Amino acid sequence: MTKRFVTTKVEVEGRVETKIAELPSRNPEPWTDATELHVVGQRVTRMDAIEKVTGSARYTADIQLPGMLYAALLRVPVPRGRVTSLDLAPALALPGVRGAISLDDLPEIKIDGVRMFGREIVYAHQAIAAIAADTMEIAERALHTVVCEIEPSAHVLTADTALEADAPKLRKHGNAPRNTPRIITRGDVDHGLFDADVTITREYRTPCALHTALEPHGAVAEWNGNAVTVWESTQGVFNTRSDVADAFGLSLTQVRVIKNYMGGGFGAKNGASHATYAAVALSRRLGRPVRCVLDRKGEQTDAGNRPATIQRVTIGAKRDGTLTAIKLDAEIPLGAGGWLGGPGRIYHELYRCANVHTTERFAYVNSAPMASFRAPGHTEGNFGLERAMDALARELDIDPVELRRRNYAEVDQERRRQYSSKQLDECYRLGAERFGWSQRTPDTRGTGRIRRGVGMSSVIWGAGGGPPAYATVRINRDGTIEVLTGAQDLGTGARTVMSQVAAEVLGANVSDVRTILGDTERLPFASNSWGSITTASVAPAVRVAAEEARDALFDAAAGMMDAEPQDLEARDSEIHVKSSDKCMCFADICEKLGDVMIIGQGSRGPNPENTAIPACAAQFAEVEVDVETGHVRVTRVVSVHDSGRIVNPTLAESQVEGGVLQGIGYALFEERVLDARLGLPLNPTMHDYKVPTIADVPAIDVVFVDAPDVVANHTGIKGLAEPPIIGVAAAVANAVTDALGVEMNEIPLTPWRVRAAVTRA
Amino acid sequence: MRLIVNGANHEVTAPAHETLVTTLRERLHLTGTKLVCGRGECGACTVLLDGVSVYSCLTLTAACGEQAITTIEGIGRADDLHQVQAAFVEHDALQCGYCTPGQILAAVALLDEIGNPTEADVVRGMSGNLCRCGAYPNIVRAVLSAAESRERPSA
Repeated sequence: MTKRFVTTKVEVEGRVETKIAELPSRNPEPWTDATELHVVGQRVTRMDAIEKVTGSARYTADIQLPGMLYAALLRVPVPRGRVTSLDLAPALALPGVRGAISLDDLPEIKIDGVRMFGREIVYAHQAIAAIAADTMEIAERALHTVVCEIEPSAHVLTADTALEADAPKLRKHGNAPRNTPRIITRGDVDHGLFDADVTITREYRTPCALHTALEPHGAVAEWNGNAVTVWESTQGVFNTRSDVADAFGLSLTQVRVIKNYMGGGFGAKNGASHATYAAVALSRRLGRPVRCVLDRKGEQTDAGNRPATIQRVTIGAKRDGTLTAIKLDAEIPLGAGGWLGGPGRIYHELYRCANVHTTERFAYVNSAPMASFRAPGHTEGNFGLERAMDALARELDIDPVELRRRNYAEVDQERRRQYSSKQLDECYRLGAERFGWSQRTPDTRGTGRIRRGVGMSSVIWGAGGGPPAYATVRINRDGTIEVLTGAQDLGTGARTVMSQVAAEVLGANVSDVRTILGDTERLPFASNSWGSITTASVAPAVRVAAEEARDALFDAAAGMMDAEPQDLEARDSEIHVKSSDKCMCFADICEKLGDVMIIGQGSRGPNPENTAIPACAAQFAEVEVDVETGHVRVTRVVSVHDSGRIVNPTLAESQVEGGVLQGIGYALFEERVLDARLGLPLNPTMHDYKVPTIADVPAIDVVFVDAPDVVANHTGIKGLAEPPIIGVAAAVANAVTDALGVEMNEIPLTPWRVRAAVTRA
Repeated sequence: MRLIVNGANHEVTAPAHETLVTTLRERLHLTGTKLVCGRGECGACTVLLDGVSVYSCLTLTAACGEQAITTIEGIGRADDLHQVQAAFVEHDALQCGYCTPGQILAAVALLDEIGNPTEADVVRGMSGNLCRCGAYPNIVRAVLSAAESRERPSA
C-alpha cells in the first residue's frame, strides 16, 4: 500500500508551517519550458469582467434578502477606559429598531486577542454593541440614542513607551507579546562589524498604513433552523466557517459561508470579523436575515492596518562591498492585537551575509489591531534594508545594482534550504536594461526647481503555496466544464487562471470552462487566498482533476470513435484520432453519454523537501522632486518579476501595476495619523487618508522572467500578488535621495517632509 | 415622487434627506451603484443625471424628480455592452470591480463632454474616481480606446 498522507512545509507570509498533504491520484510530469501549452500563458480575457462592467456582480454589501435588517456597530470615542454603564433601551424604543446586542448577548469571542464588545476599551472606535433596524439610516440614528458611560484611563501609543515598566497594560502579562522581543541571529554580528572596512548606521521609519479596500468588511447572515448561511467579503470562506462555528458552538455542517465577489481584501479579510459575528448573533435572535457592513469610518479605524516601524540598521562591509554584518533593532507597535509579522525576516533572506542579528520589539498599544497587509513585514523591512544598502553603495561608491549582485544569496541562509529556482539576477539584468540604469549621470539630476533621481530595490518573498487544496472538474452533458474549488478570487483573476489550467489539460476552449469559487457547502477545500499562494496551491490540484476527467472523457470517446484512448488528442473542445480525420466535439460525446457525469478529483501534492520557493523582483523608479513645494512625482517604474510560469500575462500585468501603485501610495501619501494626546485617529476618511489617484500614475513597465519553476510544483507556477508592493517605497526613496543628495529615511515622503529635508541640506 | 431611472418610471416615497445612492440601492435594488465613502471622496457611486456625472451619495433623491437618471444597469447589457464597458473588458481596466460601475459612468460622461480626449483629459476627467486595486493604467487605455471606437462607429 502506498503512503497516502505525508507532511510537508508550506510558507505563508514568512511563516513556514508543517502541513499534511494528501498525495494526488497521479503526479504529472512538470510543464517545462519545452512543454507546448495552448491556453496557459495566453492573454485570456478576465472571465468575470462582464459581470463587473455591467454592475451585475453581486458583492456582500449588495445582498438583499426578504425581511433583511440592517445592523450598525456602536463605537467608543476613547482609546482606553472602562464601560461602566450601557443603556440600549432608548435605541430599542425607536420606531424601526428591531433589536440590539452587547457583551451579554454574545458567546465569548476574541478578535485579535480583544474580547468582542468587551467593557475594557483598548483602542479608539472599539465596538461595544450592535443595533439592527429596518433601514441603515434608522440603525445609525439609533446609535446616537444609546446612553453609555465610560471611565477613561491613560493610554499608550508608541512601542518604546508601551514597553516601559510603568506603562498602562493591555494584557495581564504586559505589552510585549509572548516570545518577544523576537531575536533571530546567525553567525556573530559583532565579529562581522569588527571585520568591516566600512560601517553605516541609520534609523528608518515607516508609517501605519490602511488597507482601504473599497468594499468594507461585512456580512449578511440568515438562519434556517439550526443552520446559518453567511455571505461574507472574505479571503477565506473555510476560515470564516470555522470562526463562526467555533464562536457559536455549531458543527461545520451548520455553517455555510459564501463569497462570490469581493471589493478588495489586501490581507485584512482572513476570517470572521465584528460584522460577521454581529450579523450572525442578531439574525439568530431576531429570526430575520441581517446585513452588517462597516461604514467607511469603521473600515478606516477598526479593520486592520500595516503597523508602523522604527528600524535602526547597522551594516558592515568590506571595501569591495562584501557584506560582513547586518544588524537590525526594530520597534513595532502592533495596536491592541495582531500577529508578529515583522520587518526582520527580509534582513536574513535578501543578501549573502554570514553575520545577521535582528531584534524586533513588538508592543501592544492603544490603537486598532494590525492585520496582514500585502507582504506584511517584508514591505516594511524592505524599506529599511534597501535604503541602508543604498546608503552603503554611496559610502563605498559602488553602483547600487552592482553592490546587490556582489552579495547575491544562492541559498536560503536563515533556514538552510536550497532555492527551487531564483531568477533575481535575471531580474536585475532585465530591469537595468529596460530602465536604462547605466545611462544615468549626475547631469540628469538638474539644478533648478525640478530635480530628478533614480533608485532601485530588490524583492524576495516565499511564494510557493502548497497543500492542502482540492479541485473537482465536472463535464456537463453539453460538453461544458466546471472547475470547483473553495478558493477565492479577490480581483486577482483566480477564476480565469483556474479555467485556463483546466482548459489546457482537457483541450477545451477556455470559454467552455467555468470556475466556481467561494462556497463552503458546495466546494472542496482550498485555503485562504493570502500570502500569494492561491495559484501555486490550487492550479496543480486543478491540473490533476482535469487529467482525471480528460482520461475518462477519452475512454468514453475511444469507444464511440473506434479508437484507443492513447490515440486521441483534444483541441478546441474537440477530440481527434491522431493521424486520421476522425473527430468528435465534446458536446456530441457528452450528449451520447446522457447524464453520465465525468468527474475528476485533484489534490495539491507536497512541496519539495528542504527547499525555499521564492518569488523575486527588481524594481526601478525615477522621480521628479519640486524643491520649492516638496512635491514628489514618480515618473517611471520598471518592475521585473520572477514568479515562475505566468498563466495569464494580462492579469499578471494588472496585478503588478496595482501593487506598484499601492507601493507608491505607501512611499508618498499613506499614513494613519493618531492624535497623541487623545489617541484618536485624525484621518479616517478617503479624503484625509490619501491613496493614489489616476493622476499619480507613472509609466509602469512590467516585465516577467517567465521561467517555469519545475522544482516548485508540476505547473511551474509561483505566487505574484505581494512582491510588486515590496520594493517600491525603497526604490522611490532611493530615487528622491538621489535627486536631492539628502537621505530620505522616513516615509511617506509628504511635501513637508521633503521640504524639511531640502531645508536641512 | 416620480423617478426616471434608466428610462423607466418609478414611484418612490423617500424622506427629503435621503440620498440617491440609498434610493437606488435599497429601494430600487439597483446595486450596481456602490456606496464606498458616502461623502463625495471616491466616486464609486457615480451616476448620470441628465447625462452629467454626479456623486449619488451627495445627491438628494428629492432633487432628482423629472431628470433622467442613468446607472450602470442602464448603460449596457451583457449581450449589448456600451463601448466604454467593452473597452474596460478588453483592456482589463478592473480587478476587484467595486469601483468599476462608477469609473464607467465617469468615462461615459467624460466622452460625452469631450469626444476626442487627450490622455491628460482622461486623467483629469477620471481623477474623481478612486481604484484601490490600481487598475488606473488600464483605465486610461480603456477610455482612450473607447473614445477612438466612438470616432469610428462603423468599425
